[in-house]
Amino acid sequence: MLGLKGLKRVWLIAAVGLVATGILGRTAAVTEAAAGEEVRLRLVTPYPVSTLDPIKSVAAGDIEILGQIYSRLLRRDVNFELQPALAESWEASDDGLTWTFRLREAKFSDGSPITADDVVFSYLRLRDQEDSAYGGAFQVIKDVVALDERTARFTLKHSAAPFLGSTEMFNAGIVPKKVVEALGDEEFARKPVTSGPFMVEEWRPSDRVILLRNPHYWREGRPNIDVIEWIEVPDENTRVSMLQAGEADVAREIPWVAVDQFKDSEEIIAPLNQSSVITTILLNHKDSLIQDLRVRKALAMAIDREGITKVVTFGYATPANSPLPSSLDYYYAELDPIPYDPEKAKQLIEEAGATGAKIEFMAGTGGSVWDQATQLIQDQLRTIGLDPYINPVDTATWWDKVTTADYQATVSWWYNETPDPDTAVRWALCGACGNSSFYTYYNNDEINKLTEEGLRETDPQKREELYFRIQEIALEEVANIPIWYKPYRNAMRSYVKGLFMNPAIQWTFEDARVEG
Amino acid sequence: MKKLRLVALRLLQLVPVLIGISLITFVLAQATPGDPVRLIVGQRATEEVIAAVRQQYGLDEPIFVQYLVYVENLLQGDWGRSIAFRGPVLDFILSRVTPTLYLVVGGLLLTILPALLLAVIAAYRQDSWIDQLIRIFYTVGLGLPSFWVALVLVLILAVHLDWFPATGFGQTFGERLYHLVLPWTAISVAMTPILLRNLRSGLLDRLHADFVVSARSKGLPERYIFLRHVLPNSILPSLHLLGVVAVWTLGFAIIIEPIFAIPGLGQLFLRSILGRDYFVIQGLTLVFAMITVLITLAVDLLTLVVDPRVS
Repeated sequence: MLGLKGLKRVWLIAAVGLVATGILGRTAAVTEAAAGEEVRLRLVTPYPVSTLDPIKSVAAGDIEILGQIYSRLLRRDVNFELQPALAESWEASDDGLTWTFRLREAKFSDGSPITADDVVFSYLRLRDQEDSAYGGAFQVIKDVVALDERTARFTLKHSAAPFLGSTEMFNAGIVPKKVVEALGDEEFARKPVTSGPFMVEEWRPSDRVILLRNPHYWREGRPNIDVIEWIEVPDENTRVSMLQAGEADVAREIPWVAVDQFKDSEEIIAPLNQSSVITTILLNHKDSLIQDLRVRKALAMAIDREGITKVVTFGYATPANSPLPSSLDYYYAELDPIPYDPEKAKQLIEEAGATGAKIEFMAGTGGSVWDQATQLIQDQLRTIGLDPYINPVDTATWWDKVTTADYQATVSWWYNETPDPDTAVRWALCGACGNSSFYTYYNNDEINKLTEEGLRETDPQKREELYFRIQEIALEEVANIPIWYKPYRNAMRSYVKGLFMNPAIQWTFEDARVEG
Repeated sequence: MKKLRLVALRLLQLVPVLIGISLITFVLAQATPGDPVRLIVGQRATEEVIAAVRQQYGLDEPIFVQYLVYVENLLQGDWGRSIAFRGPVLDFILSRVTPTLYLVVGGLLLTILPALLLAVIAAYRQDSWIDQLIRIFYTVGLGLPSFWVALVLVLILAVHLDWFPATGFGQTFGERLYHLVLPWTAISVAMTPILLRNLRSGLLDRLHADFVVSARSKGLPERYIFLRHVLPNSILPSLHLLGVVAVWTLGFAIIIEPIFAIPGLGQLFLRSILGRDYFVIQGLTLVFAMITVLITLAVDLLTLVVDPRVS
């Protein structure tokens, strides 16, 4: 028969070639690892980096990397306590209105000194620039001036308890005035001169950022990591495969099932560190059905939070009792949540005349977790006589609908970038603070008033009372329905030591090292 | 001369095609709910900040004004700016062409060669056990969801056996081949059956055609008959299908690249659609449209070469 033999030969050659390239490629990779002494970590994350300018974004992908490349006046140590950073000391006037920070001798990644002028410049653009994404917490600053090379003085419009802590926030990173002014914002955002433990070697948008150890970093002997490859990998299964195949050392946001799978692994650990993430059901208070407190109460009673948490998160998350994240200061741990009581819920729905009412649950397609949780909720709401249906939408559409009050209910989550509850309350529960209580349009005058009092009150005892009261009211009125507090779903190879993510979604790369 | 005219005509046709496609994608992308600015500045940003950033990108203008500005810039070689990465679109697209090119070209080679080989075997051994086996292969291959095949390949060959890398795209040529073995296989499993089935029936037709029977009766060697008479005649109908397969493979990059974390055009495309990054969507659509037209053109030219009747 013709040519079959010849064709077979071609096949054979192709197969041999394939295996050979495999072996060659592998050898190349191995020699590279053996020859280089540098410590290189590869992080895979779903969150895209969109800018390297600290003030331009408050999206997760940006927050996480900005914290690694810019130093702030203060920092949080591995125990989440405030510590001196660029400021080696500070003092406040008795009325709490004037804060003077004394800077240590420190340098930017280009070797130039970090001066009080840079601090003033960084804070003014953070407060004033119209595209400063999250400048709200800094509007309390009336003025900031450089008294000399190494002293900066802040004056506040009124006393503000969160102020000192806010100098640690990711967007309060200090940038070099001269460089930003010379390059312009856009150019600077692409290849910045940094003040943090790492500097930027290269940014390939929608692919990876390559960070190098900043040799001028002010902390002696830190960091121990020479290179971090910060790789964007949108698919959660791919991130897990990379970690398992040794193509990544650290993975952000892996599925709960993978967390469970790694619990007995010696090679991969999922440390499950406490986060400030709270998963909650947002309710649109502008909706005629939801407006009825009886309906909201019934919804809260119909949902078996313990059961849902157990099923969806394999029991790794904790059912939520308060509308605020459990990692925050003044979190009300003893607050009794609305109990699971489907009988009572059914009764309330009848009283409200809502039996058989359709209720739309919008589901963002951000991951399997939301689909699963939303389906369980749908089943539970059926048992109390409602007619829930699911409307799946993608993330961009989700935001469009939420911000225009075009929804009834949806499962969502949020986090807080500082332990102080001020920004959290303003985001999720205050109806007069700009974003209408996370676009639930819940508006309670007392909470709005307490929010302002809480900001100005400097006595911790009194602040606690104020924030406890806020949590009580929001829970009682079912502002939203908190479901669970989850730890971070991050995992890493076990040779990575000392690395975790703190509740303010900041990695501790500067204190991490690699062993073995 | 005629060939040149055909090429020129086709390239001219590209102009209205591109205008039509760009207009449709522009309107569709913007009509879809969702705001790219909110996604990049983050959920906590205030409405004022979002409005300010929208203005920076000209997104506050009416859509037809935006389109005209876009076209005007495009004519001057400016493809617009990515909203998500705050930089010029063309740079991002160019920086990601190489991985996709590797993926598509390699994937196509690994589709064409096995399809040809298996089709020849199947046709010459019609209804034998090996023909049945090949038939099972392409029936199953057509039925398997390709993303699932990709995931299973990664799980078995990369994670458990550790023979191949699970993801990525290397630096050197050798590394790249090594990294792309699994993605290529995934493409091959999905695309080979389509081509294979078509080729096999084409070959069978020709093998029993009168001119082949007469060639055999003249005592010509089988190898000569195959190369001279059977193959060219049976490849023709599959050539157009090959064009379609090539375009599919390009589209397939959108599914394959995210699974294997290959930093190519497909991943960028998916990301820009989810992020409503209008000008990147626009730019990529134009690139994909141009490639599609060029592939069709290439197929036509190939047909010209193979088939003397076409003029």
